[in-house]
Amino acid sequence: MKFSYQWLKELSGTKKTPEQLAKLLMMRAFEVESVERSGTELETLVIGEVVDLEKHPGADRLRIATVKIRRGETRQIVCGAPNIEVGQKVVVALPGTVLPGDFRIEEAKIRGMLSEGMICSEREIGLGDAHEGILVLPEDAPTGALFARHYGVSDAVLDINILPNRGSDALSYEGMAREIAALDGYAPRFEEKPKKRLRVPSYNRAPKTRLADKAGCLRYLGLHIKDISIAESPFWLRLKLHQAGLRPRNNAVDITNYLMLLSGQPIHAFDSDKIEGAVTVRRAKKNERLTLLDGRSLRLDPEDVVIADDKGALALAGVMGGKRSAVTDTTKNVFVEIAVFDAASIRKTKLRHNLPTDASYRFERGLDPNLPGTVADSAYQLFSTLAGGKLSGLRDIYPKPVRPARIKLSLQRVEDVLGVKIALFEVVQFLALLGLGVKKRANVKALDVTVPTRRPDLRDEWDLIEEIGRLYGFDRIPAAAPQPALALPARAASQHFRRDLKETLAASGFTEALTYSFYGADAVEAFSLKSGSHLELENPMSPDQAFLRQSLLPNLLQKAGENHRFFNDVALFEVGSAFAKNKKAEEKEKVAFLISAEAGAGTLEERFLAFKSHALRIFSRLGVRELAIVPLSDSSAAFHPFLEPSQSGHLVANPSGDIVGIIGCLKPGVRRRLDIAAHDVVLAECDLAALQAVQESVPHFRPLPRFPAVRRDISVAFPESVHVGTVEAAFWQVGAPLLTSLDLFDVYRKDGEKSLAFHLEFSLPERTLTMEEAEESFQKIARAATELGGAVRS
Amino acid sequence: MHDRITALETEARASLESVATLSDLELWEQKYLGRKSALQGLLSELRDKSLEEKKTLGPLLNTLKRDLAGAAAASREAFIAAEEARQTAMIDVTAPGPKIPVGHLHPITRIEGEVADIFASLGFDFYDGPELETENHNFDSLNFPKDHPARDMQDTFWVKSPKKGERLVLRTHTSPGQVRYMQKHKPPFRVVVPGRVFRNEATDASHEHTFHQFECFMVDEAGKVSVATFKYIAATFFEAFFGTKVQVRLRPSFFPFTEPSFEFDISCVFCDRKGCGTCKQTGWMEIGGAGMIHQRVFEAVGYPRGKYQGFAWGFGLTRLAMIKYGIPDIRLFMGGDIRFLEQFS
Repeated sequence: MKFSYQWLKELSGTKKTPEQLAKLLMMRAFEVESVERSGTELETLVIGEVVDLEKHPGADRLRIATVKIRRGETRQIVCGAPNIEVGQKVVVALPGTVLPGDFRIEEAKIRGMLSEGMICSEREIGLGDAHEGILVLPEDAPTGALFARHYGVSDAVLDINILPNRGSDALSYEGMAREIAALDGYAPRFEEKPKKRLRVPSYNRAPKTRLADKAGCLRYLGLHIKDISIAESPFWLRLKLHQAGLRPRNNAVDITNYLMLLSGQPIHAFDSDKIEGAVTVRRAKKNERLTLLDGRSLRLDPEDVVIADDKGALALAGVMGGKRSAVTDTTKNVFVEIAVFDAASIRKTKLRHNLPTDASYRFERGLDPNLPGTVADSAYQLFSTLAGGKLSGLRDIYPKPVRPARIKLSLQRVEDVLGVKIALFEVVQFLALLGLGVKKRANVKALDVTVPTRRPDLRDEWDLIEEIGRLYGFDRIPAAAPQPALALPARAASQHFRRDLKETLAASGFTEALTYSFYGADAVEAFSLKSGSHLELENPMSPDQAFLRQSLLPNLLQKAGENHRFFNDVALFEVGSAFAKNKKAEEKEKVAFLISAEAGAGTLEERFLAFKSHALRIFSRLGVRELAIVPLSDSSAAFHPFLEPSQSGHLVANPSGDIVGIIGCLKPGVRRRLDIAAHDVVLAECDLAALQAVQESVPHFRPLPRFPAVRRDISVAFPESVHVGTVEAAFWQVGAPLLTSLDLFDVYRKDGEKSLAFHLEFSLPERTLTMEEAEESFQKIARAATELGGAVRS
Repeated sequence: MHDRITALETEARASLESVATLSDLELWEQKYLGRKSALQGLLSELRDKSLEEKKTLGPLLNTLKRDLAGAAAASREAFIAAEEARQTAMIDVTAPGPKIPVGHLHPITRIEGEVADIFASLGFDFYDGPELETENHNFDSLNFPKDHPARDMQDTFWVKSPKKGERLVLRTHTSPGQVRYMQKHKPPFRVVVPGRVFRNEATDASHEHTFHQFECFMVDEAGKVSVATFKYIAATFFEAFFGTKVQVRLRPSFFPFTEPSFEFDISCVFCDRKGCGTCKQTGWMEIGGAGMIHQRVFEAVGYPRGKYQGFAWGFGLTRLAMIKYGIPDIRLFMGGDIRFLEQFS
């Protein structure tokens, strides 16, 4: 909320400059977003008195005024205002003054007559819209005084960030002044004046009022005031509203706005002659409509709280009044609503109809139901003095009066929480400054604290400790080392694994990127994914961020493509969460890495195999050794529709057979959609938890071989369709237990065949193997090769 | 016999021609001069020959043996000389080598590692919470009242839930980690929760809807962990992180899940409170929010009211990275541009 420094100063009695005040508030209460000086252009204006008035000899509409600007000194000013009269106190801009809008006042001849300055209208000095006539000041304005200084027009605006829990008291000038006075160490000035209590007339002419919805409204107070005359507000009130940044309208509206700013209590005035029958506070009916003050027509929701008469809704409670019962220039009698509505209902209504108003802003933060009582006194006084009204009725429905809360505060608790000992008298003083009642309990280090109902945020000891802490000054609390038990931190294994994985990937030439957790329908389509299996945002920033990512690859590939503008070859990785919609919402941490390289150098198979080596080396470095790659079957390929099935496989854990991830090449169609058609893309994506499950985190010692191994080579020509993995698996199976090492060292392709050459090693842990035993195992392997359709060469 | 000797010589010499390495030469020597060589065979055949034949064939075979051994020795010397020449040939040490791809860790990962190491050395436990959270963990358990403007402080991404009645969000802060950890552990403990968080707000040079945070909390019996403890831990952490003396300044604030609550600033590590561009001439840098964990949060996880006390604070890893590395635009972090990423190894 933006506050006028002058107004706060007047109410609180502070002597601090705006900047000092901002600093004090920031360290002890609220963040001050900005301090802006205002009205500095008006500093040289003086208050003058019109002492003589003559007709201009050369113009019918102009007059020549003699204006006294200080004792014994007058100026001659040519003026065209119709409302100027002798004896008026006016605002004079002397030559040299620059008014708002870069309007420079100079001595000039107007139709032949000298004019030594200008008498200002409201609009010329930025105080309002009126410009038909000059601004006439109250009679007690001191002639010769500086206008801006006398009326506090040269001001500063403090934009103070009121915390959400302080809406009840601090969204008002009195509340803020009370806070400032407390921080200064004084009681606020405005509370010194006793207020005149309102007297209820014997004949109550206020409309009958019914509270049909006790959940939506905590208190409904209505004043009936008759015989008012709508007119312009007096200068002081217009000035106050101007200081607060509001535009004056007429006395009735200005009074309600002024009281809201002053007390924080929103007030609404109905033209009571337009109310038909009784006033009811109720929920809206289905399909009920209401035309608001601003002319908008609303279809109400059955949860909205409305103020209604016999004909229907009059106002959207706590948000905005309706057009039908609005106060107009001809209004004679008003029904002034000073009510407190349920915060949550108002908030829902505001959100539902997107109607944030000054009133809803206060109601949704929760207001003190005892506030309408005191505000009603002020409202009546103002309506009677400024609009000539008479009190002719009062309704006050307050089913459950709220009483001040009592909190027992233990001094030990204060010390425990803040970590500093604060003297009892200081604690009492801080609480008292905030207007809280304090009594010391006999023989106990505890206080009984009574909290006024304007501070519903103070509910327990800790809330009070916060108040004590900030008045004492959090900055004054010294740092103190804790003395916790010496205990080993149980650093999550997943943290370790993630960090090692990232470091190994980076050490292997991959660069870590972070990408968004969502993508759009475009990406879903480009990767042939199913939108139905994705979790969706209710309120995405934009349609291209509507789906929670199921895989890290779409966004990472997008980034790879963008980087090709500057780099031919790109190696990227990301570790992060991916999401899926099954019966429940699922989140899994994944790692994706890829190489996107200019096509041309070498075959795609070479690229793939090099990438695979990279991948297995990285996993092996992390202790994830037992991994195999199994070609995608037709059914499993359907889960990864963006992969070329004949060039891709599952990473599978041995011996469990659990799938930990995928590895392979992108389909050409997907590469074209991503604008990376000219690049070979090999990629992998794994589930972090599944990888970690295979990890041998503590290495297990195996005895070194004590007996020499028998080495043999075998070379077999297979049809192309036979996978190396199949051959190796068969060799291991028949070679067991003597076969201890199997190493493919050469692949030679010719006429649709591929010759695979392996180094084989045979050994036993407990003795030297005989040649015969090795030969027997070798022959089994050779037979297995033949069974797979191979021709053994050696 | 004469013919066989001539043939052997031709074969041996031809074979020596094709010998390319020292180890091949050794094999050649074995084959042609060794105990099982053909030449040795011929020499032993000599025993059964007549004296006449011995006289002519003997010298012939000996000469051949001497010649072959000589040729082998010459070949060996040549190899050694060639090897010597290779080993001493000039290398242009200024020429560039082949390009080996270099990988890089993301600056957030680097910062997270530094932060984690400091907290680990202070004895803090680590906890990972999910990014996809329930409304309950993200708001309700943390004492955000329903239908209260406090929920407006954090613009939320809501996720359509497959389960009826359960509302899901992308976590708006790492604080739900507190609740999840406390549901499984009993005090005393000290814990950090790092992670990615989300706010539904428009992106510009200083705002991102996706960024990284670190949550840190410490709980013990009432009286053992206070505001003063928090100041100590915060100052200790920042001094270790920035490697310079740091002052911590607390200002009043409001968070539903702490009471008292503060904003905390640290003295500017670049100008030591003299005022510079980084701290916008204020001498202080705004770092994050903190406070003493609200008793209602303890109650939500089943701890008795008033028994425990602890602090919690959250700060932006992204913001720390921007300060430490002097990165002016937050959008670079999620931009994936290698020209940015390769500046952090």
